[in-house]
Amino acid sequence: MTSDKHPLLEKFTEQIQHCTRCGFCQAHCPVFGATGRPALNARGKMLLLKEVLAGKLELNQELVDSLFQCTTCASCATNCPSGVDVPGIIKAARQEMVGLGTCHPAFTGMNQVLDDHDNIYAEDEPEDFDRERGKQAEVVYFIGCVGQYREEEATEAALDLLDHLEVDYTLIDEVCCSGVLEDVGFSIKPALAAKNIERILATGAKTLVTGCPYCYRTFSGKDIYAPLREAGLEILHFSQFLARQELGVTTDLKVTYHDPCDLGRHCGIYEEPRKTIKALAPNFVEMPSNHANALCCGAGGGVRGAYAKNSLAMARRRLDEVEEVGADILLTECNSCVHNLANAKLRAQKFQVMTTAQFIMELLDD
Amino acid sequence: MDQRDKEAIREIVGEDHFSDELIDLVSYSYDSSDHDHRPGGVAYPADSEQISRIMQLANERRFPVIPRGAGTSLAGSAVPIQGGLVLDMVRMNRILDIRIPDRQVVVQPGVVYAALQKALAPSGFCFPPDPASGKVCTLGGNVATNAGGIRGAKYGVTRDYVLALEVVLPDGRIMHTGTKCMKSSSGLDTTRIFVGSEGVLGVITEITLKINPMPTAFRTALASFETLRQAGQAVTDIMHSGILPSVLEIMEENTIRVLRENYGADLPDVSALLLVETDGYTDGEAEYGMGKVATAFEANQAKTVSMAKDREEAEKLWAIRRAAGSVAGGLRPNNLSEDVTVPISKVPDLLEGIQKLMVGHKYPFVIFGHAGDGNLHPKIMFDGSDPQQVREVHQIAEQMFKLTCGLGGTLSGEHGIGLAKAPYMHLEHEPLAMEMMRLLKRTLDPNNVLNPGKMALED
Repeated sequence: MTSDKHPLLEKFTEQIQHCTRCGFCQAHCPVFGATGRPALNARGKMLLLKEVLAGKLELNQELVDSLFQCTTCASCATNCPSGVDVPGIIKAARQEMVGLGTCHPAFTGMNQVLDDHDNIYAEDEPEDFDRERGKQAEVVYFIGCVGQYREEEATEAALDLLDHLEVDYTLIDEVCCSGVLEDVGFSIKPALAAKNIERILATGAKTLVTGCPYCYRTFSGKDIYAPLREAGLEILHFSQFLARQELGVTTDLKVTYHDPCDLGRHCGIYEEPRKTIKALAPNFVEMPSNHANALCCGAGGGVRGAYAKNSLAMARRRLDEVEEVGADILLTECNSCVHNLANAKLRAQKFQVMTTAQFIMELLDD
Repeated sequence: MDQRDKEAIREIVGEDHFSDELIDLVSYSYDSSDHDHRPGGVAYPADSEQISRIMQLANERRFPVIPRGAGTSLAGSAVPIQGGLVLDMVRMNRILDIRIPDRQVVVQPGVVYAALQKALAPSGFCFPPDPASGKVCTLGGNVATNAGGIRGAKYGVTRDYVLALEVVLPDGRIMHTGTKCMKSSSGLDTTRIFVGSEGVLGVITEITLKINPMPTAFRTALASFETLRQAGQAVTDIMHSGILPSVLEIMEENTIRVLRENYGADLPDVSALLLVETDGYTDGEAEYGMGKVATAFEANQAKTVSMAKDREEAEKLWAIRRAAGSVAGGLRPNNLSEDVTVPISKVPDLLEGIQKLMVGHKYPFVIFGHAGDGNLHPKIMFDGSDPQQVREVHQIAEQMFKLTCGLGGTLSGEHGIGLAKAPYMHLEHEPLAMEMMRLLKRTLDPNNVLNPGKMALED
């Protein structure tokens, strides 16, 4: 079966063979849901890789639109009756392809940008949010690239909320954690990781709070960031930090919550965000797909950059669920999800999309 | 199919609705069976008019056309074994009409089974056949394979609910069959010719289905038996007791062991389990049915009986049954999953016969299935990369089909024949019956363009 040509992929040979082609992943794959194209579904990807391992297909440019069009949301793996680790396989296939010189140009570009810049948007002037950076504090708040350069209002609200709660925190001169590069065929940049580790530890903080679920995954799980954990730093996503706070505001509005894939399926964090939101909004309602079955917003795995049209179509399917339950407010805990969902929202859709921190700040301001 | 044909198809369906990209050709080479073959392209038609034009072109230019729903066929029915054009019906996915007072719905073939159930739920109605692939499979596929499901014991199969069809015939003519009435004795039944026809006689483009009010009360129980015969007699007693259970599932000792060892299920070391559900529109009705079931359990010395007190407990019992197939499937890279069916009273004979066939073979296997309608799912696990294993497993399958037909059974209760069981059609159907099937195929599709190579219709 194996050809010894693809060492990274061949580690997953048994996993790939365990795909029984039942196609049940079609019910969960956001890319299939938006396109109706089986080649883009997890089964379609596994079939390509089976043929690659059998020596029937070359791992070449013709396969890019399938293998690189995956948000790595993991809903296929969560629901696979055969327990196939599709996201792990996709990551290995992408790494293999990059090694062979085959990649989607958007991802090659992303890797290049992080060789030359400190953030994925190649921006030179970070927003300073009028806060001091790198001071000694109990807590480091790590914003992440999307919060820093695309969703500044969400970040402003998170920082205002930390001020309101009188948290002793600091920002740092942060650089991209570069965790996402592993998803798209490349590797975390050691130089970037070293800068983050040094600057975080230099503050003497006991707790690292991330605004971005992906940064949370990277800091709490990747080997290269082990020094943070070894230093005894408690690493939390902002939603976990918020769940420990007393906020003292409530609303009658009908509120729903979108589980970001990186927080939910990838880290198992489902209840902390809901604890905060349910305390704020007794009129909380779940969307038809929620928790481990939540539909992906379509932004992850680099898909928003590489396949923008389909990424927005995925977000629209998620927004249809908000309409279906008649919510006034859609909250989420990921700047990337907020960004994609807000961009996809139609004018006729009257609900608002924001982070929990933004919503809390609105309630406090009222 | 050459470039000229592809251009002509693009012209019919639109540039964006045709593909011959490699990733699509690979994807459409397969379904859920072990068969595969590359098509020349795939079209995503929007309506029956486009399909009609495609069929005319296919006859003119002599290329095969293979209709496809979600590609969940376990028999290779959707594999383009002679190449040609796959017709993916995904765009024809509208529920056209829900007529509760008439107890009918009208759907396009690409509607996903679960989407119809979701649309019917607010009215308290449902489409009763419930295939295991319900969250992805399409109603067009359900009709084309006469799909069944776990509640067949009481509610039957897709065929029992199809009232009328719109079908594009192989030569491109568009035909309407059946009636919008709940009953009709008018003429030959042209609807049923297409139900279970696996896309060899026509492309189904519109379906009128009968629907039922959804039962609202359920009782669920799981019983274990020391011997297969006791379980078999309990099934017989339940069927004699004057009730129709909505579910009557059997799992034999290999299944039980696999569930215990590989799934951590807390199950006794016994020869058989029966999972039974009774339903109704009142608690009393469901309770009455379960009373009869409990009597049958007791009369046949059930070793243990778990009666679910509520939906949550019932769900735990169901989880065991649902896990059986996938847990066993994980034991080896490949598996042969069949749907042999016998008269209900012959279920113990079929179970024992298959167990005997497996003696001396090294392959792990499990047998579970719908004892309430005689439909078993033997599943044999093997490594498909080893040609000898593939050969041996297919030999076992042939013996299993002979055994089944010898018991007065059928090769397929709900999956269809496709490619997988085509070589065995003669075991079940006499030469005259086969000739009638072939005559029908030749009459409707003289150029053999529609889903060729399936069901042994060309021999």
